[in-house]
Amino acid sequence: MTTPVPGTVRPRTVADRPGARRRRRVEAAWAYGLLGPSLIGISLFLVLPILVVLWLSLNHWDLLSPMRFIGLANWIDILTDPTFGNSLAVTVVFVLMVIPVQTVLGLVIALLLSRGLRGSWFFRIVYVVPWVCAPLALGVVWKWIYAPFGGALNALLGTSTEWLTTPALALPAVAAVSIWSQVGYVALFFLAGLAAIPSQVLEAAAIDGASPWQIFWSIKLPLLLPTTFFVLVTGVISSFQAFDHIWALTPGGGPDHATDVIASRIYLEAFGGAFHLGRASAMAVVLFVLLVVVTVIQQRWFAKRVTYDLS
Amino acid sequence: MSHPLSRRTALLGAAATAALTAAGCSPAQQSSSASSSSAPVTVTVRLWDDQVQKAYDAGFAEFSKANPNITVKTTLVPWADYFTKLRTDAAAGNADDIFLINGSYIQPYVTGNLISEIGSDFADLRGGWSQAAIDQYTFSGKLYGVPQLTDGGIALYYNKDLLAAAGVTPADLASLTWAPGAGAGDTLLPLLKKLTKDANGKRADEAGFDGSKPAVWGYNASQDLQAIYYNFIGSNGGQFQDSTGKFVFASDQSAAAFQYIVDLINTHKVAPAASNTNANGDFARDQFLQGKIAIFQSGVYNLKNVADGAKFAWGIAPLPAGPAGPVSVVNTIVIAGNAKSKNPDAAKKVLRWLGSDGAAYIGKAGAALPAVTAQQQSFTDFWKAKNVDPTQFAKQGELKTLPAPSGANYGAAFSAWKPIFDEIFLGRTPVADGLAKAQEAANKAINS
Amino acid sequence: MTSRRAGRRRAPDFLAYGILLVGAVLTLAPFVLSVMTALKTPLQLASEPVLAPPDPVTLSNMQRLFTEYGFVSPVVVTAEVVVVVLVGQLAFSVMAAFAFAKLHFPGREALFWLYLATLMVPQVVTVIPLYTMFSAVGLRNTFWSLVLPFVLGSPYAIFLLREYFRGIPDDIIAAARIDGAGTWRILVQIVVPLSRPILATLTIITVVSHWNSFLWPLIITTGRDWQVVTVATAALQTQYNANWTLVMAATTLAIAPLLVIFALFSRRIVGSIALTGFK
Repeated sequence: MTTPVPGTVRPRTVADRPGARRRRRVEAAWAYGLLGPSLIGISLFLVLPILVVLWLSLNHWDLLSPMRFIGLANWIDILTDPTFGNSLAVTVVFVLMVIPVQTVLGLVIALLLSRGLRGSWFFRIVYVVPWVCAPLALGVVWKWIYAPFGGALNALLGTSTEWLTTPALALPAVAAVSIWSQVGYVALFFLAGLAAIPSQVLEAAAIDGASPWQIFWSIKLPLLLPTTFFVLVTGVISSFQAFDHIWALTPGGGPDHATDVIASRIYLEAFGGAFHLGRASAMAVVLFVLLVVVTVIQQRWFAKRVTYDLS
Repeated sequence: MSHPLSRRTALLGAAATAALTAAGCSPAQQSSSASSSSAPVTVTVRLWDDQVQKAYDAGFAEFSKANPNITVKTTLVPWADYFTKLRTDAAAGNADDIFLINGSYIQPYVTGNLISEIGSDFADLRGGWSQAAIDQYTFSGKLYGVPQLTDGGIALYYNKDLLAAAGVTPADLASLTWAPGAGAGDTLLPLLKKLTKDANGKRADEAGFDGSKPAVWGYNASQDLQAIYYNFIGSNGGQFQDSTGKFVFASDQSAAAFQYIVDLINTHKVAPAASNTNANGDFARDQFLQGKIAIFQSGVYNLKNVADGAKFAWGIAPLPAGPAGPVSVVNTIVIAGNAKSKNPDAAKKVLRWLGSDGAAYIGKAGAALPAVTAQQQSFTDFWKAKNVDPTQFAKQGELKTLPAPSGANYGAAFSAWKPIFDEIFLGRTPVADGLAKAQEAANKAINS
Repeated sequence: MTSRRAGRRRAPDFLAYGILLVGAVLTLAPFVLSVMTALKTPLQLASEPVLAPPDPVTLSNMQRLFTEYGFVSPVVVTAEVVVVVLVGQLAFSVMAAFAFAKLHFPGREALFWLYLATLMVPQVVTVIPLYTMFSAVGLRNTFWSLVLPFVLGSPYAIFLLREYFRGIPDDIIAAARIDGAGTWRILVQIVVPLSRPILATLTIITVVSHWNSFLWPLIITTGRDWQVVTVATAALQTQYNANWTLVMAATTLAIAPLLVIFALFSRRIVGSIALTGFK
């Protein structure tokens, strides 16, 4: 280490004194001792699996017969497989349905809640309730709500629409549950962002005669840009991996693969009947690469555009 | 400064953790046992049918009296998950010592050496087993599995009350015929129309019938391999799989059979919409038991469920005949020994017992027709005492039959055609196009 | 002027309340409906409108869940998993975060980047290799398979804790060192007590995410022995497809404990979500 790291225990000068080397060694020993368990955990359960999944993607394995090295055959297979192409497309459409709606609704709710109305706390809490609950359980609840016979939604509407088994309706129905469960969470981020806007700025604008609409467009929205970006990126990343509630609502990929998002395809390919663990691993690697790309773009954006400090 | 997480609490937490994990306690877990010869052992048996489970449990209680060192525990895994769970479990060494398996799925377990051969230790029992079953489960001259349940053929369960209300007599069901496109000689469709009723009380053969508001369905036409479409294919002279294992269900005869079933559901609306039945194999049975389906085509495997669940008078009639006569799928289910079992000797004892006296309990409880021929009488006796005549299933099994599908990677083939079949039955994919697509996908998957 | 502002604001306030109220009803309705269904008899559900309140209120679905469908074990197993993961993950994450925040050691930056990088690894990607690894060592369908991947610490918790620990002034720690306190004592007696808010937040995050966990337990366990609540609920739904009163009793059970925690700590949870990203 050549440069002093801010926020460390001892100033660099101490190291120049006699006996400092020993103390430094003791400190390093302590550090590695403290890091030991998590280092083992992270190496074994997060780093090693990435290597194993890469290895598996080069093998044919159906669980029952011995693993067989087949080079890039799985890769060629999945990249030309219309079912996997469909899953990528379904995932992208799912993300495009969920993210804009939940972001706009979250912003609207945050704006309403930031008016300082009495009882705002109550609403804040209520809106976050679905977000705390197990997505799997919520998926099962909504499966009943959507049921064509005896389901709540059709009973309320007086219809017998087959929400989850009609290809054109299944994905919107699943996306609606996503939005329903996450919108309160998104709203809280916008609320925090709104609270961080200095009140003098808003007051000055009001005194200058700006209308609420002008204040929103010209002041609040630009200042909320970092929050918006954060909400969009985290939302995209988590929606790309969505599985639990989609599986509960439409197991097996839904009607005509209409809700066969990547996560569900990986599960089906590996454990849901086909038992092509190699192909599923290749798909998992594709998903991982996609998410890394999204994250890296996010990092670039954050570095360039915004000075948003989470801590 | 307060110290909410002092060293003491941290230690307490650690101690609690240690205690919990040391106990490793799941309330559902039975105490595991060592496998030395004299120590008590537990042999676990996995199955998918709760009627058979009840019968086995009664039998194993007796077995343990005679073999006090062996406890046998049954595990029920629902049919919908059975073969996916079995595979992930077998690969990880979590499969039970003994498990039920059928001809469609057994092949990879044989080639992967995951189930043990039923070899010379069982030689004295083989003579008592159904020969068809032995043939079905012999691979390269070796038998893998002790024959357990014979499904016989498929037949019709009917609700006498619903028949009477529609002015139909059981005799009308005795010689039903169907013809592709409901053409000349088709007596099935007119009968089903008579039996189907909407919420306003209109019958399907009356003007103003509204199929979107069903009250009673005539029939359980659905995507049910064993009970429905296999038999329609067979009775139209078609095949599902040829003798080399290639799927040929897109042939003209088979396509006409599928078209007939799909029309019953979507055009004539005499059966529940496929959205109810595609993913839920028990929907039709439950609706029949609730008095909402008049004729329920199924196998002997549902006899006990019908007898226990039906609160109405019911009967059994023969399968409708097609241009090629009445043709039914037949199937036998075996129970296999896990090659990786930790208690192979005890498991063998249990298997031997199931291949002899033990099979009586399935018959005695009326749960299924045992494939151990000496014990089949117990099944007939049970139902005779209840005034039920199950011989129709056996009779059907003796007529023209089709073997159940099978293959190296049947599971993959099934998951390849299933989503396409779903669309066909929902009426959204034209039958011929869908079958061609499904056949190609299934043939690609079966050997991969 | 105040009166004029009030006059101008009244109508939009009214509108705001209206929108918020509709939103609240839409948010809560599925919960209310599902609990209502769980309290009805199958007959009542079939014969009366969905919105009709349960009459008579019956606990038989809930009771059958425990007596006939063996839901005691999943609740106990899930609780055990949550407790063990919570204790282990917090302890080991605190230790790691402290090392990163307050100790010098060679390789610190590189290791921290490694930890940060693992934040990007999605669970869907690791389940297949982890299944393979756990199967290979014979640990599938054990209690360990449920907790081991999480109990040794979480990169996310370490990241949050490190940020927090860095805010603790070095002077306090230096002073303790001069008083002769060792690294462990500094951690346990100074840093941890000062970090109560973030620890409380992490406790809630860990409890919520592990009570709700589904995909990993689904793959790594089989049968009843180590079945958790989410997996048991999914299995019940698959098997008793149309028996909605029973299935809604199960979802109620899967959701209720977290709703209780949420009700008790709602202000803290809601207050901390925006700070931590609450994942």
